[in-house]
Amino acid sequence: MLELRDVFKYYSGIPAVNSVSFSARPGEVTGYLGPNGSGKTTTMKMITGLIEMSSGEVRFEGKPIQDDLISYKRRMGYVPEEPYLYHHLSGLEYLTMVAQLRNLPEREASERIDGLLRLLMLYEDRHASISGYSKGMRQKILIAAAIMHNPELVLLDEPFSGLDVASALVLRSLIRELAARGKVVLFSSHELDTVERVCSHVVILHRGKVVADDSIEHLRSLMAAPTLEDIFSQLAVEQDIGAISRQIADLIHA
Amino acid sequence: MPKLREFLPLQFRILYQQFLSGVIDLEALSVHADVPRFLGQFASILVLISLSRALGLLFAADNLAPNAYLSFAWRGQQDLISGTMLLVGLVTIASWDSTFPDMRDVRVLSPLPIAPRMILAAKIAASASILGLAVVTLNFATGIAWPIFIGSHHESSLGFLRALGAYWLTILAASLFLYCSVLAIQGLTSLLLPRGLFLVSSAFFQVAAFFLFLAVYFLQPTITSVEMASTTSSWLNWSPALWFFALFNQLNGSLPSELYWMAQRAWFGVGISIGGAIAALALCYVRTMRKMLEQPDLVSGGHSFDWTPRLGSPLQSAVVLFSFRSILRSRQHRLAVAAYAALVFLIVLPWLHIELSSPTPLPLTPDFLTSTFLIVSLTVLGLRGIFSLPISLTANWVLRTTQLRPTEKYVAATRLTLLLLGVAPAWLIAAMLSTRLRPWHEVAKHLLVLALVGWLLAEVALINFYKVPFTCSYLPGKVHIQVMFWCAMVLLAAFAITSAEVELPALHSNVRSSLVIVTLAACGLALAALNHHRAKSAQLYFEEFPPEVITSLGIGPLPQHTRSATFLR
Repeated sequence: MLELRDVFKYYSGIPAVNSVSFSARPGEVTGYLGPNGSGKTTTMKMITGLIEMSSGEVRFEGKPIQDDLISYKRRMGYVPEEPYLYHHLSGLEYLTMVAQLRNLPEREASERIDGLLRLLMLYEDRHASISGYSKGMRQKILIAAAIMHNPELVLLDEPFSGLDVASALVLRSLIRELAARGKVVLFSSHELDTVERVCSHVVILHRGKVVADDSIEHLRSLMAAPTLEDIFSQLAVEQDIGAISRQIADLIHA
Repeated sequence: MPKLREFLPLQFRILYQQFLSGVIDLEALSVHADVPRFLGQFASILVLISLSRALGLLFAADNLAPNAYLSFAWRGQQDLISGTMLLVGLVTIASWDSTFPDMRDVRVLSPLPIAPRMILAAKIAASASILGLAVVTLNFATGIAWPIFIGSHHESSLGFLRALGAYWLTILAASLFLYCSVLAIQGLTSLLLPRGLFLVSSAFFQVAAFFLFLAVYFLQPTITSVEMASTTSSWLNWSPALWFFALFNQLNGSLPSELYWMAQRAWFGVGISIGGAIAALALCYVRTMRKMLEQPDLVSGGHSFDWTPRLGSPLQSAVVLFSFRSILRSRQHRLAVAAYAALVFLIVLPWLHIELSSPTPLPLTPDFLTSTFLIVSLTVLGLRGIFSLPISLTANWVLRTTQLRPTEKYVAATRLTLLLLGVAPAWLIAAMLSTRLRPWHEVAKHLLVLALVGWLLAEVALINFYKVPFTCSYLPGKVHIQVMFWCAMVLLAAFAITSAEVELPALHSNVRSSLVIVTLAACGLALAALNHHRAKSAQLYFEEFPPEVITSLGIGPLPQHTRSATFLR
């Protein structure tokens, strides 16, 4: 289980993440939602160990991750928000490098990379430079790199970005499959419809604070809201959406 | 009075500024980088070269024998013209492809109401500005001193003015010729080849052009008389620097009638290259921009070629191959390597000439030993310098999330990279240059010493280097490159000369040479152990300075209700 306990992150004294606590259990997909700037990506980066917390604790399987960060990283797979890759490498070279950095046995790594490239429809372009890949192809490379070592914890920050419909459906099903196989999956997205279909449990963040942490079913009945979008609007959207859209249209019309 | 820039269209001014800054790859720089200062440092190196050449010229002219004027003047003119042409060539290579539309231009600018000719004009203006700045700084002192010297030997009282005009016109024509020739060739290949193939061949042409310019600069003979010109007619036919030397003399009124055809060739060359460049660029901006949208940049790395050799542990393989591919495929890194390779090439060239021309075996000399030490030290320290140029800072997250081993393992991987990509090639070059040297046992001992020196230098280069090559941010402008460059040159030369002086007598004695070898091996082991030990308590780092994740607006303390307006990145 992944647990966050009273996690804070300050930037120049301003809390970007404010006393965040929640748990993500094996066998279920936890959705991590929030508007832009609410602190989702900062939390994800703290969970991966990319940035340090100002205070609080992240625990995995009951142990603080900082106690043995290397062993924790071995068990974790991460898809970042932006598809930042080494563009001068080919897709195959990038995945091979990640496998080597993860110390996967050569034969096993080769079989998995080959299989992932075929299943993700990248095999034909495996020797092409990543600089020429489309956003969706880069996203697939990130997904392959994140899961090739069979991690126990899968962190997905906007994984559907740039994917075509077929690939998005495959990924949606894959996320469920990974959870069904006992993995802890933490999944951040703005696509509420997808989150509603994939996640059993959601954590909603607003201005750095957790404003909801429950099952979607329970939140629906609690807030008398038929959809996750309605729940989200009540908890994390402060603006009058209709008024803003009218103002924008008026502005460009003037 | 309105400024000149106000007459230029707004679109042009904005695009020009964008393209001018595009000469520097901002992705590779740290947020703390001081780009104008960095460019200023390079300009100051050129100014220093110009000043030293001008002073050297004035000093030599002062001691000139009356009958040596012509030979001295011709030699000097060729030197100044070919030096400028080499600089133009190097700047053109450094800004390779920057005049042509790239994918970013097509994606960002195509949807906007901007005419392709506006983009073209702004790109040409940006690269011409950089080129002009380089040419003027290199010639700013010689461009006055040389016309004064030539003008003083003129019969007319306006000799200085004529020589001044001839000098700068020739420099302008030679620069235009080279710049436009490269543009025309690039434009033609871009038009004729499919997009993917063009991208591959362009990288190849870039490196080939670099070595071509260097080879021509160093190999072309210097003409000091009309008689000599008749014996080197093949060079006169094909060497543009010699055509422009003739052009200078034609404009100055000092060209012998036998060499008029060379000046004609210079005029034709300038005309053809400008015409070719205009045609190629115009066609490119009409056709290539469409072609780029229709043909993706997918460049195959060889469909059936999957080259991933095992080089030590998986981590070592990953780091060595990542470094090798970065050098091979990144324009910036390739150029940096080529610059060091050029210095090595300079050292190797005379020895190669001696090797090939000598009918009998040669003895080991202090000069040869010095040269080989220079080759190894330049390669190792050059490579270590290039390791500091990052390839993509934003992609480094993958190395941080997969950092499953302690820092000393990464140091070991970097050591292997330095040994395989730096010491081994330099040692091989030295070994090949030694094939005609005798006695064999002394040559073998020297090669062993050289390998140990290479290893020792690699260990020195690894002190406090706790990063993966090409992944840490670089701070141009923060380091005094103009000082560092000359200091490094002096130190390397002193090191190589001293090493050769110590080694040569030792090679004649088995006891002394064994002592040298054992001492070097012991020093190497001690340094390796020290690096290993220190790395155990060190952390791998990816930024020279920790990145700021908050951007301050710099407007003082904010009232409580406006604090949320501060941008979090």
